[in-house]
Amino acid sequence: MHAAPLLSVRDLMITHRGASGPAVQDVSFDVHAGEVVLLLGPSGSGKSTLALALSGLIPHSLDAAVAGTVTVCGHDAATTPIATLSSVVSTVFQDPDAQIITGSVLDDAAFALENLRLPVSEVLSRAEAALRRMGLWERRTDNPDRLSGGGKQRLAIASALATGSPVLILDEPTANLDPQGTADVHAALADIAGSEGRAIILVEHDLDAALEIATRAIVLDDSGRVVFDGPARRILREHAEEILALGAWLPAAALVARRLRAAGIPIEPLPLTATELREALASQPDTVARAAQSAPPAQSAHPALVAAPIITARGLAVARRRTPVLHDIDLDIEAASITAVIGPNGAGKTTLVQALAGVLAPSRGRVVVDGIDPSAASARTRLLSGRGEPAGPAHIGFVFQNPEHQFIAHTVFDELAHGLRLRRTPPAEIAQRVGRMLQRFRLVDKADVHPFLLSGGEKRRLSVGTALITRPRILVLDEPTFGQDRARAEELLALFHELRAEGTTILLVTHDMDLVIRHASHTVLVDDGRVIASGPTSELVRDAMIPLPETYLAVPPGLRVLLGDHAVRGSSDVQTTVEPES
Amino acid sequence: MSDPYAGRSPAPAHAWLHHLNPLAKLGAVLPAMVLLLFVRDLATPIAFLALAYAVVLSGTRLTARIWAVLLLAIPGGVLVLSLSMALWTDPAQVAATPVVLRIGGWTLYTGALAAGLATGLRLAAILALALISGLTTTGPDLVRAGVQQLRIPYRFGYTALAAYRFVPRFGYELGVIRTAHRVRGTHGGHGPFARIARGWGYIVPLLASAIRHAERVALAMDSRAFGAHPVRTERHQVPFRTRDVVFLVLMLAASAAVFTLFFPWRL
Repeated sequence: MHAAPLLSVRDLMITHRGASGPAVQDVSFDVHAGEVVLLLGPSGSGKSTLALALSGLIPHSLDAAVAGTVTVCGHDAATTPIATLSSVVSTVFQDPDAQIITGSVLDDAAFALENLRLPVSEVLSRAEAALRRMGLWERRTDNPDRLSGGGKQRLAIASALATGSPVLILDEPTANLDPQGTADVHAALADIAGSEGRAIILVEHDLDAALEIATRAIVLDDSGRVVFDGPARRILREHAEEILALGAWLPAAALVARRLRAAGIPIEPLPLTATELREALASQPDTVARAAQSAPPAQSAHPALVAAPIITARGLAVARRRTPVLHDIDLDIEAASITAVIGPNGAGKTTLVQALAGVLAPSRGRVVVDGIDPSAASARTRLLSGRGEPAGPAHIGFVFQNPEHQFIAHTVFDELAHGLRLRRTPPAEIAQRVGRMLQRFRLVDKADVHPFLLSGGEKRRLSVGTALITRPRILVLDEPTFGQDRARAEELLALFHELRAEGTTILLVTHDMDLVIRHASHTVLVDDGRVIASGPTSELVRDAMIPLPETYLAVPPGLRVLLGDHAVRGSSDVQTTVEPES
Repeated sequence: MSDPYAGRSPAPAHAWLHHLNPLAKLGAVLPAMVLLLFVRDLATPIAFLALAYAVVLSGTRLTARIWAVLLLAIPGGVLVLSLSMALWTDPAQVAATPVVLRIGGWTLYTGALAAGLATGLRLAAILALALISGLTTTGPDLVRAGVQQLRIPYRFGYTALAAYRFVPRFGYELGVIRTAHRVRGTHGGHGPFARIARGWGYIVPLLASAIRHAERVALAMDSRAFGAHPVRTERHQVPFRTRDVVFLVLMLAASAAVFTLFFPWRL
């Protein structure tokens, strides 16, 4: 390409105020019109910092030491006023709620145009074109709060399109969305990618969707340096192991293929999509047949458990501010299971686990947890904190979605010790148990740090640690892997399996279908305040209550047992009926 | 939480108050509201109550809720306030007036009742005047009028408007934090001190999240060129027309007439 690049970065180094080292360093690259650049790296690799620098928000709005240059359409980002920059580069951020400024969809799409002092007629025509493009024109008079998460992000994209800026930066636009919203946003992006001489910079961890539009990938390591830069598919294929080692995500098909490789099936080159995986397997029928024969026979992952369920709900209903949220729920949670609660946003997943754990009092019906009915306040307190019974174990540990919400002490040590102190554990024992917990969660050198000053991953580990310190028999977690990079998510899941082996029941809310298929022994499907289905994940997969992700369907049924996933093991005998449709 | 931006359908033509400039409505009632603070008689607040009711009833799109406020909440408030203020009044000051009620050694004088009623009516009149603008103006329109007519820098106006959005969000967030802290079994105990201690514990997480949210909103606004120019295009003109001047003048004249008529506003 010989045209001048839209975006040009030279020797960029950014150091945040008060940080010990640079967040981004030695970064140089050019982006031309028509390119869709995927920015990859583990958390803390400076992806967001780089995205902010590309739009000029660093240094214009956020103070940081910047060396090197960023040039957007010929404008030096550091010296050009933000008003000029905002008509050549637009940003869509991660949090849909923090991007809505005005009171109606149309006003929001027009906001930037009005700030740029365009004439009214042009504001309206541009806003209309952008909203129509994103399928939001019919909702122009609505309050943006009434849009779904995916709708809000499409509105943010529409606002960016309206400015007509040739460079569009998206910083994890789907991280806060459910699968439906994510699909919604990706469809919108696919529609605009590569058109109208635009360049898109995309920070995204859902690589399966991103790869469909990405033409190029730039991979940053945890010191903020560019380690790979090139065509997206080639980079992911050739450097998969290095990218994994950095702790970043890979496409689901690549992860499945790696597991099959480990089981002795050579799959070359590494497939990046379900179709590629299917073709790679189809091209070597002999090896696949041999592997399927020698594979251990499919067996039920869960020998029928005769043990009584540890949580039982009968006729459970919950209302919040007199609005019914859950209706008439009958549910058993198997002891020592990893039970996932899934469903669309607003279905009542969080309310359900809170009611099961006794965090919320039901308006009707009954919950029995390990023989205790938590509907009385005193029983609830005892159940959750273990207070009032110094010797006996606390029954439930509850981890909220945002770890910060439940921090109450001023140091990490006190945070962990809190639950034990409430139970009047002798100080010597507290010191010992907290010490072990600090070690287990790699927080030893942070013992005296204020919990709010930890990194995102450390906060999450600490919040799980505070719940585990009293050795609960049940651990309830609300979206524990939300916003975690691959390495950290895997680490948490390994911990859950470890706990389960010790007899702890894990109940978690999640949107991550791969997590459900690979790790959940049981699944509860919630929609519109009702339990649609519940039972062993393998049975739900077999009965098509939970659709198998495409990547799994690409693997012949006989081989699925090699993936070592509970659900897929159970599903192997019926997959022939599902297979032909593709 | 009510929606501060509530996208209502345009008000019908007969609801004429909705079609006036927000500043005209505010300017028409503010002087009277301030002066009413110094009024001590019964007639002046009654006159203003009547005026305000007449304006609201003739010019507002009336809903069941507004009817309830006008017919139940305000009269009920006057009654409760009058009685409680009557009990507060120092009996020595009104001992010369006739006795209404005597229970044991305690006496209720007509003077105390009148003083209580005056207070109740005064506050009701101020509230009713505020309703003239409050029931018929939306936040965004008031901000737009402030920017367009009073030349308030739009940065202030629109930032205040954006901050509106924070309120329901923080309400929700506080609820989650309280639940989360209860789960941790924090600061047991009853009574005001335990409650204060608990409340203190909510502040750090709430502030941390508030600051982070505000930063994100600010970034989103910056990236959309907010504040880049001293003025911005205004799609919604909130004009100040002849009818606004007429309304303003008439209301001020009526207020002046009432105040003159009932001077010196004493019981």
